[in-house]
Amino acid sequence: MTVGMAPALFGRALPAILMMLAVTLMALHRMNSLPVERLRVALMDTITPVLTVISAPFISFVDSIDSVTTMRSLKAENIQLQEENIRLQQWYEAALKLQAENQSFRELLNVKADPTLNFVTARVISDSGGAFVKSALLPIGIADKVQKGNAVMSGHGLVGRVTEVGQRSSRVLLITDLNSRIPVIIQNTRTKAILAGKNQDLLRLERLPTDSGITTGARIVTSGDGGQLPADLPIGTIVSSGADGVWVKPLSDINRLTYVQVVNADLDQALSDGEITPPPPSEHGNKNKL
Amino acid sequence: MASVWNESLLRMIGRWGLALAMLLVLFVFSAAPLEIARLGEIRPVFMLMAVYYWTILRPALLPAPAVFAIGLVLDLLSAAPFGMNALILVLAQWLIRSQRKFLLGQSFLMIWAGFAAIATGAGLMQWGLFVMFNLTLFSAKPMLVSVVISTLLFPLFVWPLSAVHKALMTHSSPTS
Repeated sequence: MTVGMAPALFGRALPAILMMLAVTLMALHRMNSLPVERLRVALMDTITPVLTVISAPFISFVDSIDSVTTMRSLKAENIQLQEENIRLQQWYEAALKLQAENQSFRELLNVKADPTLNFVTARVISDSGGAFVKSALLPIGIADKVQKGNAVMSGHGLVGRVTEVGQRSSRVLLITDLNSRIPVIIQNTRTKAILAGKNQDLLRLERLPTDSGITTGARIVTSGDGGQLPADLPIGTIVSSGADGVWVKPLSDINRLTYVQVVNADLDQALSDGEITPPPPSEHGNKNKL
Repeated sequence: MASVWNESLLRMIGRWGLALAMLLVLFVFSAAPLEIARLGEIRPVFMLMAVYYWTILRPALLPAPAVFAIGLVLDLLSAAPFGMNALILVLAQWLIRSQRKFLLGQSFLMIWAGFAAIATGAGLMQWGLFVMFNLTLFSAKPMLVSVVISTLLFPLFVWPLSAVHKALMTHSSPTS
């Protein structure tokens, strides 16, 4: 290599070379090339811990500002919470009664137990609810038993599912993304439908039977069809139905995700086992408590 | 002699530190899950600010491969087509560098206008690439909103830094 000439020439052509490389990468990504997929996952694994460290001080700064602003509304919130607590106490009693009743019915009918749900909680490290893609990055991966297809919940309801998994990182496709399709059921009528993301805050119910009695306020939960997501995970409520379709508002604020739980339902295992017997009681009990 | 050397070393650390700190801040704004509603939609343009600013003032700080790498990281974080932000940022830098001599002598207002032009171009390109990649006609509205917001935010990020930068420059050459 001729020293002197080469670097100058190379320097001038460098942006062009890099741009061509970028276009090639995009084309390969579009074609779902496996090496590029592997490269992305490997890079994701490398970046995730670094980003966690870098963003920690910024996150705690924003959190502290947040805590100052919430301090002011503390008193009003306290009164409201006390009232809510009294109400919930009654619900809690009702839930206990129903749970016991449900349990005895299940035993009577010898129902196969629902697959055990395991939860892994993580803080979202990058929620790029970008203009065209709605996704989030989590600092947990195969090492934490996260699998492709796992449901991701925030405190209130389903927010997405895992689409890519690395050793220590995973990507979540949020339910608001244009490519998100979730098999759901309208809880009060048991009508099945598909919940489609539209790149906006509301989601649209599709593939609805024509005679389905839609009522606003009805809860939408996962149907479990397709075997990817567990059944009966809450997602949202119907807010409007009209000529432009039936629209659902998610229970969680998808634009401001902090902590999420990845739900690993061991569904594949349950399907392949095909056994009637529930899992061993000790393990079963522990995991349900989580 | 020693004190002069120390001073210049300090100045160098100050300048590079400042540049890196700004990169870091903008990077966190473009990646970390700060609880600012709808931050995600204006994210990609934050790194464009850094690229724009430093390519004009200190091009050695951000060589093209570094910009390319930053773009790839952004693509991974935002689940964009792999290489999209890398392509946009490298192309933007190449354009900015070609206009660098012109932009250097301009007033802040002109530099701001230059950024608005670059941000609009980058936004349109991003939209076009997303449409091509997904074969879906996305609404261009969120992109336009993002361009307007980031253009309005530009002075907020860059003005204080350019002031500090100027102070460092004048301090470094008291004779001139």
